[in-house]
Amino acid sequence: METYFTAAVAGLTAGGAYALLGVCAVFTYRLVAVVNFTGAAIGTAGTFMLISLTEAGYPTWPSVLAGIVTGTAVGVAIGFVMTRWFATAGASTKAAVTAALLVGLIAIGLRLTGGQHPHVMPELFPGSAFRLAGVQVTNASALTIGLAVLFTVASSLFLNGTRTGLHLRALSERPMAAELLGVRVRLLSLFVWGVTGAFTTFALMIIAPQRSPNFMTLSLLVVPALAAALIGLFRSFWLTLAGGIALGILEGLASTVDVVSQYRSAIPFLVILAVLLWSQREARWDEAR
Amino acid sequence: MKRASIRASLALLAVAAVLGAAAVLFLSSYWIFLLTGVLITGVALQSLGLVAGRAGMIALCQMSFAGVGAWTVGYLNVAEVPGGLTVWILLGGLAAVPFGVAIGLPALRLRGINLAIVTLSFATAFDTILATITYPGQTAFIQVARPAPFDSDGGYFVFALLFYVAIAVLLEFLARARIGASWLAIRHSERAAAAHGVSIAASKLSAFAISAFIAGISGGLLAGYLGTLVAENFSMMQSLSLYAVAVMAGARFAEGAIIGALLVIMFPEILRRLSLPQDLGNVLFAIGATQALSTGEAMSETFRRLGRKLLPARKQPEKTAPGVLPRPAPGAAPRPVLSIENLTVRYGSVVALDRVNLAVPVGTVAGLIGPNGAGKSTFIDAVTGFLPSYEGSVRLGGEALDRLPAHLRARAGVRRTWQTNRIAPELTVGGYLALAAKGLPETETRKLLAWLDCPDPETPVAKVDAGTRRLLDVAGVVAARPAIVLLDEPAAGQSHEETLRLGRRIAEIPELFGTAVLLVEHDMDLVRSVCAEVTVLDFGQVIASGPPARVLTDGTVKKAYLGITEGSAAA
Amino acid sequence: MSALRVSGLSIARAGLPVVSGVDLVAEPGAISVVLGANGAGKTTLLEGLSGIIPVTGGTIAIGGSEVQNALAGLRSRAGLAHVEQGRTVFGQLTTDENLRIGLRKGAGTDEAYGLFPELTQRRQVRGGLLSGGEQQMLVIARALLTRPKVLLIDEMSAGLAPVIVTRLMHTVRRLADEGLAVLLVEQFAALALSIGDRAYVMRRGRFVYDGDCGSLAKAPDELHRLYLGTT
Repeated sequence: METYFTAAVAGLTAGGAYALLGVCAVFTYRLVAVVNFTGAAIGTAGTFMLISLTEAGYPTWPSVLAGIVTGTAVGVAIGFVMTRWFATAGASTKAAVTAALLVGLIAIGLRLTGGQHPHVMPELFPGSAFRLAGVQVTNASALTIGLAVLFTVASSLFLNGTRTGLHLRALSERPMAAELLGVRVRLLSLFVWGVTGAFTTFALMIIAPQRSPNFMTLSLLVVPALAAALIGLFRSFWLTLAGGIALGILEGLASTVDVVSQYRSAIPFLVILAVLLWSQREARWDEAR
Repeated sequence: MKRASIRASLALLAVAAVLGAAAVLFLSSYWIFLLTGVLITGVALQSLGLVAGRAGMIALCQMSFAGVGAWTVGYLNVAEVPGGLTVWILLGGLAAVPFGVAIGLPALRLRGINLAIVTLSFATAFDTILATITYPGQTAFIQVARPAPFDSDGGYFVFALLFYVAIAVLLEFLARARIGASWLAIRHSERAAAAHGVSIAASKLSAFAISAFIAGISGGLLAGYLGTLVAENFSMMQSLSLYAVAVMAGARFAEGAIIGALLVIMFPEILRRLSLPQDLGNVLFAIGATQALSTGEAMSETFRRLGRKLLPARKQPEKTAPGVLPRPAPGAAPRPVLSIENLTVRYGSVVALDRVNLAVPVGTVAGLIGPNGAGKSTFIDAVTGFLPSYEGSVRLGGEALDRLPAHLRARAGVRRTWQTNRIAPELTVGGYLALAAKGLPETETRKLLAWLDCPDPETPVAKVDAGTRRLLDVAGVVAARPAIVLLDEPAAGQSHEETLRLGRRIAEIPELFGTAVLLVEHDMDLVRSVCAEVTVLDFGQVIASGPPARVLTDGTVKKAYLGITEGSAAA
Repeated sequence: MSALRVSGLSIARAGLPVVSGVDLVAEPGAISVVLGANGAGKTTLLEGLSGIIPVTGGTIAIGGSEVQNALAGLRSRAGLAHVEQGRTVFGQLTTDENLRIGLRKGAGTDEAYGLFPELTQRRQVRGGLLSGGEQQMLVIARALLTRPKVLLIDEMSAGLAPVIVTRLMHTVRRLADEGLAVLLVEQFAALALSIGDRAYVMRRGRFVYDGDCGSLAKAPDELHRLYLGTT
């Protein structure tokens, strides 16, 4: 029992990162109607900025800042492609575009970072925050989960309480109608891309030391992130958050079982299968078609 | 349709034979080897062309299916199963089918995005599994054995070419058959496809199953090509990049798949010769795919468009004289066609339809009218099975339809049109009618089109103007000679003349097709001229019914429509 | 100065010309009506004017400044409002929120409720749950709160009961009388001609009539000929 509990708590760091990435995916989907397959790759770009700066001997925290700026910029760049050429495209087309862009981003990323070449990722928040029933809860997990909660609360306050938030909600529903009313649609969309870029970057910086930090592996964290978003049905931030954490815990638990542990990264797939089969028992015809 | 398929297939065979022979005769074995790779990648791209290009689903695990095929061939090779490589490859393709179906299942009801997520996650999961099992026979240095006449590099090129062409021909026939039309239709509008009796589940699953089969074959071919394989050949990144190429090149056409495969194989080759990093290829594919998605035109489509401009226009096939449509056999239609009893629909606390009763007798045109928001469209949705639930009963010739989903109601004989046009623009006019009416003879297709002044069957729907597409909608629903058609504002957006003409045609429908009509319309002149009986809905309730002359002068109706007298509405 | 002056405007869709060399003006205090059969290019014209689709040639001036290359949002801020076909309410937002989106300095939602009192009780109701007539009122009111100089309205009557259409037409007339320039696109000619000042008839992307509404209203045969081109 004890070992299982320890393993579950160990999964919290990943869980927190999945939760934060998932919440960002839902945010992007709800506001700019894009299921973003490049989500984690954007964060990975920022993370590698941090890695290469620290490897070159620059101090950690300014490098973190530079990394987040990079992630934001890459997010805005992807957002620019989406708003410039795909503003009126359907959800499927937009998803296809991000899938295609993911191919390019990974290729560029691998090229710039030397492929599978090993990197040292500084651990930003070593140590543990507190003990939970005798098990250490790491700073990293407390921070990612806290950040995911903060993001959820803040975004809901922002969307429902401010004029920009109202504009974003209008934009999410009918971009063209919003633009005809004078809403600065492109600017707001880029803002969404930038904000999610910054947050995903931070999430990836925290989880990177736990994974083999190569560009592709990190970019593929989009899979558990989307699994979490699916648990929230791409609508609910809180369910997504819970889903991400649960996914992390599940992975932590799986690592204790020898037979399963090497297939750990198949877990998101099974979760996605289960969620889709469950969520479509009622589904009939989607809107408008 | 068949003739067109045969013509296209023969052309394909001829081109393949000439190019194949030229390659074998004139190229060095190095280039032959590369071209074999092109053909195998082309097969994989054809599988994507089907599921992504035709059915419009985002499939990001195609190389995983190929992996299943390749590993199956490996096991069969080590086990020395009789039949040789050809049989093994086909078995490998079959082995991939259950995976395709299993992946397709959770995405049946939900659209492309979910499928993209499932397939990407499957590809990553498959990666980890493949990483733990070495290729069968690898440790014992057993290579996959090539069959006798095809064991040389040139021979294997021919072998791969035969597979490529066979699959291209198969896809050509499927594409022009009803199933191919149904893939294009569900991509455009699932509801509209279901309204023609297409089972969305069967259509999507068949696309996925066939696609997985073809992908599995490409894996098997690769096994024979390289002798032994590593997990890298089938990694998620390969699947992703293949998807980008398929989008960029337009893999739903046979030449598109080859263009894509040339890019995949030759581009790194060129980069290598220029001493440039080979992974730049993926960057190009990403940009190319994005470009294709933004213009909506892949490379093969661009070439086809330019090709059509260069070549002289093909002679228009002679129009068949507008001859007489065959009359329905007397008594073919079920007796009191449609009867609705106490139909009630609620959206939350709002009652959209409140105990509506309505019957459409055999051989008549009935009208359903009412001010906007009265519940007319909800009524059609309920009757044709597009609402999750309702109370009351819908009977067709005495048989209760309430438990049937939309596509089975359509097959049972309840057809509908939509307020907005939902015909897939990639179809031809004839292809659309073949989708709408299974097994409609070509002569009847032409007569039907002539009857409605629609263009001839070879015309692409994309070239048909909006007004004529509304007529095509009507042609589509009557083509199958169902028991009843529900026409949802067919005159919307038509000019006065066009409306008059449409009215005359609608009036002829019962006699010509043995089909009763329920017409939902705003145009009162049209209703007055064609309907024997009219039912008026207001706020979800029937407020009047009877012959139009009487109903339209009824006080309650005037009030509902025109607000002539002040007073509380019947809410 | 005209609120809206368009000259030589051409618009293409998928490479095919849909609007060719159109000249039109909309003056403050007047309603210009654009009539034409389905497919004549009326909606495309409005979409080109408001920036939903790009134009291929010609100029569009709002209050004297040219905007043909500006994005839709900028044209809105320059004083052009477009009430699109099909009642584009934000279904998930309440009536009040719908109204507040485009609110400009000096405008208040009270004006909207004053203009259409029936919306008052529907303040907190989501746009998607309003009736067709209410939605049409909402989108018109919403556009007015952006303080436009020119109001483009596309097929206001489509799918609405005649009683509501008459009501909306009178409202539009009143708005024009208060100084707004209105460009009204309609397929159903009679009512539009009865409230309009200047009429344009469009056929195959060109204006085939440019004159006053009154004389066109008195000549239904002429109108019919202009619509369908039969001589």
